Amino acid sequence: MIQLTQETRSGWCVVGVQGRADAEAADELEGALRAALELHPKVAADLGKLDYISSAGLRAVIQAARAAQAKNAEFAVCSLSAPVQKVFDMSGMHHIMRIHGELPC
Amino acid sequence: MLTMLEEVVLLAVDEKNGQLRSTREFGTAYALVGALFFDLALARKIDTDTEEIQIVDTTATGNATLDRVLGFMTKRPDLTTVRAWIEELFLQRQDLEGEALASLIERGILRHEVSKLLWIIDVERFPMVNNRHQQHVKLRLAQAILTDDIPETRDIMLVSIAEQCGLLEYVLSSAELANRKDRIQMLSNLETISRKVTAAILNLDNSLRTAMTKVV
Repeated sequence: MIQLTQETRSGWCVVGVQGRADAEAADELEGALRAALELHPKVAADLGKLDYISSAGLRAVIQAARAAQAKNAEFAVCSLSAPVQKVFDMSGMHHIMRIHGELPC
Repeated sequence: MLTMLEEVVLLAVDEKNGQLRSTREFGTAYALVGALFFDLALARKIDTDTEEIQIVDTTATGNATLDRVLGFMTKRPDLTTVRAWIEELFLQRQDLEGEALASLIERGILRHEVSKLLWIIDVERFPMVNNRHQQHVKLRLAQAILTDDIPETRDIMLVSIAEQCGLLEYVLSSAELANRKDRIQMLSNLETISRKVTAAILNLDNSLRTAMTKVV
């Protein structure tokens, strides 16, 4: 189960992600991030309340970063919870996207 | 669209003579298992985290190989880790390659020829009826590796599997591969399945090395 919120702060569209990003939620997550990127030049995914991310969830975030790259938009993931940070570290996600300890706005 | 397994087997066919390249035999077999898991993941039948594999949907995909393996997996709830499943399906490696070849022949991409070596030994070849499909796979691999763009999910998976099979040397020059070594490593590391396949290959290499040392 995933819950998504969206707000605008200091020029950034912040997509809040809460719960579990797994195969069941991956399309919803990617869709929300892509939709935000369609409308905003700067998008941050706030993963502070994300408890779990699977490979499918990770692929959703990677494809959102790909969409941002294709349209020259800024994309960052922020405030990773400890279990999510572990998955990001193991996968080397910092090589392909900006990861912030805190929200950039 | 071809499955990941079919794309990898197609890439292993030498376009000049139709012979199957087998540069790292056991490594290739592990990588084929990885390709199969990627197909199941792309079909949203399984999901993985850093260690475990979960079946998320048991309905048929319509692909005989994927459905056979998915059915097999649902009957083995005792196996939960990616590593354990890689080892289990490694035992079915010849079926995987054979079924992928049969599918490629059925689709009219390859044809099957058997000739005699020294009038005795049967030699199988799989010449290409149309090399468009293999060229497409090679082009996607080259683009994923030689540019700094984030590739599509499918192409990230393809790079990691082709690398583990030792098939990238048939796509890019040695100099290109050396220049983009870090990029290939980075893409391969993104997926749990790739990391576990790499670990299984390393473990097998170490076991073989230990066995050889004991023999010598």
